Amino acid sequence: MSEVRITAESRTEFGKGAARRIRRDKKVPAVLYGHGTDPRHISLPGHELMLALKTSNVLLTLDIDGKDELALPKDIQRDPIRGFLEHVDLVVVRRGEKVTVEIGVHLVGEAAPDTFVTTDLNSLSVEAEATNIPTGVDVSIEGLQVGAQIHAKDVTLPDGVTLVTDPEALVVNVTAATTAEEIEAELAEAEAEVGIVHEATDEEQAAQAEAAAEGGDESAAADAGDAEGDKADS
Amino acid sequence: MLIPRRVKHRKQHHPGRTGAAKGGTRVTFGDYGIQAVEPAYVTNRQIESARIAMTRHIKRGGKVWINIYPDRPLTKKPAETRMGSGKGSPEWWIANVKPGRVMFELSGVPEPIAREAMRRAMHKLPMKCRFVRREEV
Repeated sequence: MSEVRITAESRTEFGKGAARRIRRDKKVPAVLYGHGTDPRHISLPGHELMLALKTSNVLLTLDIDGKDELALPKDIQRDPIRGFLEHVDLVVVRRGEKVTVEIGVHLVGEAAPDTFVTTDLNSLSVEAEATNIPTGVDVSIEGLQVGAQIHAKDVTLPDGVTLVTDPEALVVNVTAATTAEEIEAELAEAEAEVGIVHEATDEEQAAQAEAAAEGGDESAAADAGDAEGDKADS
Repeated sequence: MLIPRRVKHRKQHHPGRTGAAKGGTRVTFGDYGIQAVEPAYVTNRQIESARIAMTRHIKRGGKVWINIYPDRPLTKKPAETRMGSGKGSPEWWIANVKPGRVMFELSGVPEPIAREAMRRAMHKLPMKCRFVRREEV
């Protein structure tokens, strides 16, 4: 579990005007709360914070006016288009304290052929020591057959980590993959409804031309045969 | 095609096109998504065409989610008609998409295939879009 040290500054002015001034200075407005303390408004260096938040559940050591404080990110607001950090909520934690956090589920391995694996739960809520939060949990789907299901209780968590999510919650579901014919039929119906007409590919055109040529030869041969028969009759 | 089964008002005002998406800006169901970068009205035909293009490319093994719904009717007056005499008749069903909105999601395929499938789908949509991935928790 990584720990990142960041120098923070206390904020004295509030509101959107002040927040925008802070963002123009390449800083991020943030709020720090928890453990019954009053919320503290701080600003953090934008680039350092962005790099730190690339790690999930990163433990931040904030140096606020000379005093250290351990914190975990609780809520991160990003601009939906440009992606920069707009505001961060941080929650105060103590060393050795147990905290409830969300950790990612990573699928490992390959399920049996002709199956489709659906991840119903991309993250699990777990309780772990604040200084020892796992980055994620690996779930093996190696060789799973159609109908196999992995529930939250089946996931092996690292030592010292307990599950908070409902143990019966479905994490991974393995179903039969749809057949090519089913997809083709469904798409053909959808295309007919929208009015999409496919142009024949080069291979299809060549096949059609070949079929037409064969058909033409046969009919020509049949015509020749008929003509000979007519001559014989006369 | 996606069409509302029943609506309260047959003819509506044109939806506002200003501002950014307030929600649905992250990939939540699948692993990859198509995010709108510009505002646009997306018709039900465009949604269906994009879905077909994506599904045709991934063939089998993937799953597609559509996160937008064309629930707003747009009207049109017939050609060579004088102005007045009331509002035209409903012509299209559209989804009012604002910048930042994740419109389609995809899972169950490797990233290169997902990128190509979504690139093909983007050509069917009326605005600039980009490929996005699910954020790690």
